[in-house]
Amino acid sequence: MNELILEFARWLESTSFSVGLHESFYLYNWIETTHVLTLMVSLGLLCIIDLRMLGLCFTHVPASKVAERLTKPMLAGFVVMFATGIALYTAIPVRTSQSLWFRIKLILLLAAFINALLFHRHMKASVDSWDLAPVPPARTRVAAGLSLALWAGIVTTGRFIAYDWFDCGEPNPAWIDAFIGCTNPAA
Amino acid sequence: MRLLDLFTWLETSPVGAFVKDKGATFATIEAVHLMALAVLGGTVLLTDLRLMNVILKDVPTQTLAFAAHRWFKIALYTLLATGFFMLAGVATKCYHNFYFWVKMAALAAGIAFVFAIKMPLLRGNVDELQPATLKLVALASMSLWFLVAASGRWIGFS
Repeated sequence: MNELILEFARWLESTSFSVGLHESFYLYNWIETTHVLTLMVSLGLLCIIDLRMLGLCFTHVPASKVAERLTKPMLAGFVVMFATGIALYTAIPVRTSQSLWFRIKLILLLAAFINALLFHRHMKASVDSWDLAPVPPARTRVAAGLSLALWAGIVTTGRFIAYDWFDCGEPNPAWIDAFIGCTNPAA
Repeated sequence: MRLLDLFTWLETSPVGAFVKDKGATFATIEAVHLMALAVLGGTVLLTDLRLMNVILKDVPTQTLAFAAHRWFKIALYTLLATGFFMLAGVATKCYHNFYFWVKMAALAAGIAFVFAIKMPLLRGNVDELQPATLKLVALASMSLWFLVAASGRWIGFS
């Protein structure tokens, strides 16, 4: 698995698209700035929805209305977020693939996605009984709290990718080298 | 005392030393800064897109704006506090950084705009205002806060 990932990353790194992104000064910075700015749209609106589900704001607006109306602009933000995220990965594929934080971030992203799907299903099935309640039932609040916690983790690990604390070649514990797939410790 | 002396003093103060001491301290404060930025962005967009009549058209502007403003303030104070700690760690670098001053100017303008223009305007009789005025206020507000965030990110590039 790790060999395949590394092989893919090395191939990606050799493409002209990746080299161009990596070598250009301003384009890379603009992509990263867009990635951060889109946080205000995607994660910002996600936080509003989650805060409503926790009963902490906009309690006078039905929960389903907040969720439904904000989902589209939020998803638009996430599309830009993922597109710029993929571009950032493409610019530095090998190091990023072997980054501890990047790998944790992907796991947290997957967890947040599953949590959102389950929450969406739960909401569809039961929202009629608590739509107007200022404070939604416990299960809803747990899902919203979990969503916020997961995203805090995603932001934190995302920021940590920039640091070389556990890069391949650093004096890492063996399990970390195994987890991040350091098959090339000298590289 | 020159301004640079103040920045140098801040960086060598115990606060500056605390932030500088370990890379993880700075990075963790930065992550909290980013989460607060997301909340701030969410509240700004919610209010401004409502003012532009794009979202939640059937929810009264004022109730939405006042509720959003509470969380805007929480996010803003978190950003100011974490921002101060980040500045303490790299104060002299910031002093010589063009984008730091762009950000401070945009931030001052953003805060003045929200507390001296936008909120007083919304506390008045919104129905008497021209829709174009509200749209202009929303556009100015979003532009200012996105400029604050973008120039903030750009501090790290130079």
